[in-house]
Amino acid sequence: MSAKHHRLLLVLTLSLCASPSAVFGNDDPKPKPENTISIHAPQTVTPQKFAQPFTIALLDVTDRSGNPQPMLVYKPRGGIFVDRMPTDILREALQDSMKPAGLLAADAESADLTAKVYVFKFGLAPGSGLDFFGSVEFAVVLKNKKTGASQEVRAAGTAIANAAVLKKNIQKNVRENLETALGDALTNFFRGAQLREAVRTLLAEQDKPVGVQEKPQGHSGNPERL
Amino acid sequence: MKHFWISAALLLTFGAMAQAKDPEQYYKTAEVKHYTKVEGVELSATFTDYLYAELRAQLTKTKMFGRVLTEGEVVDDAEVPSSIVLNGQLIEFKKGNLAKEVIIGFSSGYRRLKLDTVVTNRSDGATLFTLHTQVRTPPNRTEQLMAKAAAEAIAHELKDAVKKAHEQK
Repeated sequence: MSAKHHRLLLVLTLSLCASPSAVFGNDDPKPKPENTISIHAPQTVTPQKFAQPFTIALLDVTDRSGNPQPMLVYKPRGGIFVDRMPTDILREALQDSMKPAGLLAADAESADLTAKVYVFKFGLAPGSGLDFFGSVEFAVVLKNKKTGASQEVRAAGTAIANAAVLKKNIQKNVRENLETALGDALTNFFRGAQLREAVRTLLAEQDKPVGVQEKPQGHSGNPERL
Repeated sequence: MKHFWISAALLLTFGAMAQAKDPEQYYKTAEVKHYTKVEGVELSATFTDYLYAELRAQLTKTKMFGRVLTEGEVVDDAEVPSSIVLNGQLIEFKKGNLAKEVIIGFSSGYRRLKLDTVVTNRSDGATLFTLHTQVRTPPNRTEQLMAKAAAEAIAHELKDAVKKAHEQK
């Protein structure tokens, strides 16, 4: 083997050692404008009618999904990212539905109830391979400031959209799918029997005369779904 | 000859229009609940989630219901008499055997899932229909594909049952 071949072999070996990702490709997709989508709730949800008027102050929205990359919703083919954190998307969607119904309090002081939101799932779940399976799950802990009692309300939304081959169509379908799942979860929350029951319990305790109030019962989420 | 082609075109057009006629809406709302598993059914929790989502999608496709509700959603008083609730249970699941399927063939090693669905009236809780569904899929397919097949079968059976009940009335 000549000196020229030796040099060539050395250069090749060094280049492989120095940057394997440049040769074999990097698996981690990076957010770019062309692979970022914007998610908004498809429409505001009209909440159910409650026996008693009340307002809610939305305090914190916390991510409890345990997902290290919550903004990455689809990994293959360069990835698809959402433009904001799922917590921000959910906060905006909740506020948009609460405002027109008069449920959103201006501040925590004037509110009857306070709400802390925990996001458990936001993105695509494993599907059949022939479609995209969008799933949004969150829990809202409602607290009555006066009595200190709290109730948990869980909500889940799902959507199934057709898979696609072209990147442009994949992005479109994923966006539509996530928006439908988000809308579904909001409907499940605002029109759910769990919310009605939680509000009724919390406000009934408040109306009781002093001394008759029961101890806070804690969470009342559906144990079957936990 | 010209008349023949015109009449053929008209026949095809009216035939297609008759086919495209909107199916009748039988109920205003249908609520789907998550299927429960009996002991011994070794399927993941995501299976029931996917089955729930797929079943809602399939029931929406049938156009027999005004709205397919999420689990636990309240219904307006006016809509309650014309509303149904679907409760279901996964009764039996056989994992299947890939070797058997490859060597013997004829769907011998297929996975098998049996489901029972009870459709009740929302207003009084009376049972309207009880559906016994069985699906078989190749053992190398994912759980989600089996859920898809199950949802399609349930929606199809429910459609038939509802139509039959309405025809008998």
